[in-house]
Amino acid sequence: MSANHLLEIKDLRIEVRVTRTKRLSIIDTATLIIDPGEIIGLIGESGSGKTMLCRSLVGTLARRGAYIASGELKFDGIDLVTAKQNVWSQIRGKRIGYVPQSALAGPNPVMTIGAQLAEAILQDENFPKSEVKNRALELLSIVQIHRPETVLKQYQHELSGGMKQRVMIACAIAQQPQLIVADEPTTGLDVTVQAEIMQLLMKIREDFNTSIILVSHDLPLVNEICDDIVVMHAGTTVEKIPSKLIKFSKHPYTIALYNSRIDLVEPKGELKTIAGQPPSVGSWPEGCRFSERCDLATDLCKVKQDLNLIPIGDNHQTSCLRHEQIVRF
Amino acid sequence: MRNRIIGFKEWLSLPGGFGILTGSVMLGVIILLGIIIPNFGPYKSDAFVGDPFLPPSRNHPFGLDQLGRDVMTRTFSSVGVDLGVAFLGVSIPLIIGTIIGILLGLAKNRHVANLVGSIIDGINAFPLLIIAVAMLTFLGTGLKNVVIILAISNWARYARISRTRAVVVSKQNYIEASKTLGYSRKRIILKHIAPNVSSETVAYALSDFILVIVVVSGLSFLGLATQPPMAEWGSMIADGRAFISISWWLVIFPGLALCWSAISLSFIVEGISRRDRGN
Amino acid sequence: MNIIEAENISVVFDSYGDIIKAVDHVDFILPKGQTIGIVGESGSGKSTFARVLSGLQIPSSGEVKFMGSPIWNGNKIYEGALRKEVQMVFQDPYGSLNPRMRIVKAVAEAIRHHQGLDKKSSTLAAFDLLESMGISNLDAQKFPSKLSGGQRQRASVARALSAQPSVLIADEPTSAIDQSAQAQLLGLFNDLIKNGLSIVLVSHDLGIIRYLSDYVYVMKDGIFVESGTSEEIFNNPKEDYTKKLISSIPGRSIT
Repeated sequence: MSANHLLEIKDLRIEVRVTRTKRLSIIDTATLIIDPGEIIGLIGESGSGKTMLCRSLVGTLARRGAYIASGELKFDGIDLVTAKQNVWSQIRGKRIGYVPQSALAGPNPVMTIGAQLAEAILQDENFPKSEVKNRALELLSIVQIHRPETVLKQYQHELSGGMKQRVMIACAIAQQPQLIVADEPTTGLDVTVQAEIMQLLMKIREDFNTSIILVSHDLPLVNEICDDIVVMHAGTTVEKIPSKLIKFSKHPYTIALYNSRIDLVEPKGELKTIAGQPPSVGSWPEGCRFSERCDLATDLCKVKQDLNLIPIGDNHQTSCLRHEQIVRF
Repeated sequence: MRNRIIGFKEWLSLPGGFGILTGSVMLGVIILLGIIIPNFGPYKSDAFVGDPFLPPSRNHPFGLDQLGRDVMTRTFSSVGVDLGVAFLGVSIPLIIGTIIGILLGLAKNRHVANLVGSIIDGINAFPLLIIAVAMLTFLGTGLKNVVIILAISNWARYARISRTRAVVVSKQNYIEASKTLGYSRKRIILKHIAPNVSSETVAYALSDFILVIVVVSGLSFLGLATQPPMAEWGSMIADGRAFISISWWLVIFPGLALCWSAISLSFIVEGISRRDRGN
Repeated sequence: MNIIEAENISVVFDSYGDIIKAVDHVDFILPKGQTIGIVGESGSGKSTFARVLSGLQIPSSGEVKFMGSPIWNGNKIYEGALRKEVQMVFQDPYGSLNPRMRIVKAVAEAIRHHQGLDKKSSTLAAFDLLESMGISNLDAQKFPSKLSGGQRQRASVARALSAQPSVLIADEPTSAIDQSAQAQLLGLFNDLIKNGLSIVLVSHDLGIIRYLSDYVYVMKDGIFVESGTSEEIFNNPKEDYTKKLISSIPGRSIT
């Protein structure tokens, strides 16, 4: 499998500057590979590092005082670890698109939707100004917004949550990116709207062969939409598994997440919660970071070790040392 | 049940720590000198101790002014005056403005609240110095009047901040929760709304302090605040202006003291805002 | 026996000349010891209705009764001892707690107000209550900004429970927190239900509605389009809108 992957993240380590001398690692040994046209789900609890990983893909780490300390990050063969602003400006918004969380930001409140789309379209400096409006209308129809002419003139506060996200998606696909990073795009939106937005993302993948990284904490959602699922815990990737095979997971954390799904439990039945909290940044234990909460953990798990992903099957990797002891659950 | 007391070094390394420390030390130095030198120094601020225009020397590090008074003593006597007046000129408007703002923000009658709000906006439209000058010429000069005028005109700025904030805070869920928990209106206002409003107005007060010090000195420079023989930086600079080319020490030292105060406060304010942002 | 009865409730807002009917003549019953779910999308009016039940919103028409007596008495709502009976937990964990008050102080204040203990005892009781909700003594002394969303929600529940209410109205309690925090909060609710608490659960998340509710009202544009037991609604929805909602749940489609 040495063909050119679209995105290759290997053993990535991201640190943040807390004070002038103190550094903290917020992600390490993170591995993620995507090929063109794939939809990958990235799941994990809050604090697992999934948002920081997204930021590293759009080059906005520096704003948070974070930086890549070691590891590989290659997009279509281009090394992004050492990339300077001039390289990033050709990639961010053009070849890698970003759809933010629905609860946050959204379209710029002081610009009309049309102005924002124009801005996204004109990221391509050679785009003819006379064609901008047509392209904007085209984008709005791709994201299935009715009455696009009207929407062009509206402001963010006049739109519903679902429509705002569609606009954000339209801006993200303006330059026909090869990869879209969608960070919890439907969290907080109504379930019918969520279903529609997911359909839209799948359609974009169909029509343009765009790869999508879908970040979420909603397992059933990710299970339904994504080809593969990458699970993150306490700053590291612990499993990669095709979503069809989720029941054959070989990592206790993934299994615990799966079992704590509320739709699997009967009303008021026993909820299998994962005891305790994930270790917070700065107090990661040696060895496997899930070992404190894991039923299967032995002393060997707590010993300092590489947290690499071990290939265990077709397109299936896990970091659990005891994966052979895991039977189908 | 003790809280973790943060170590000094750690506190310092958080954002803004260095600024707050520097500013506080600078401020501390000038306040200390302001206490020691006028009270325990060899000269009195209004005593004639030698020939006029004596340049800085070992006995008189800041020289003597046009009437033969020790500039150093006079410079440091002014600390109490300027900082004291500025303190009153900020704390009184802070208290009045915050209270009025909260009352307006919570007022049930929207029309009355909007009317008063418009008056406040009207007052805020005028720069502080202009209003102060206008009112002083009207009411008569003197430090007491300066404090009164600051209280009358500056409260509006605080009221504006306080009102907006009170409106926002009153709509928060924790206030709604206080209502379902049956807390009295008095308790809700005093324990829940006021602290969350005053955090904003106090923050503004710190930076306002710097402005007011400069305004007070400015008014004295124009001859509207302090009367001779009281030592005050603004009036010292005004008096010494005519002689600046030959006896620069009459102007430079009070000027430096003024700058020193303003800068030290700026460091503190900047440090605090960096700390807030960092969090 | 019904602990809350609401009849013909309407809430009409006048927004700069536009008349908005947030809640349009609805009837509602909360039987004692049961959990009633109100499911609807944004704009359905469910939050406004929840606020009417908790006494934070005056309805434009209709009457709400608690244990048979009207909750409104002239201008006064849930007068006297009644006030503590119905408490509310809100959606947004960030605005639900006073940012300038340590968690333990906020809960102690509620305990002191309702259980009449002195300062010291109420603080100890607050620590205990928070601990029973999974918030350590150390965390309890922090300000809300230093806690996670899930912890904040549990602190809000602790504060609400300090009043020892018989009814808890939860408006989107899990929307802003992640899955494992959700699971912990729901487990907490489960325990409270076992101890006899009656709950009104308002949410757009069908999963938690199905998990906790005995009976469900489906709300759209200010009216209840359908209601029924949890079983009926999820396995045999009758109205088109209900069917549309159910089929939008990931992993579920109605045949």
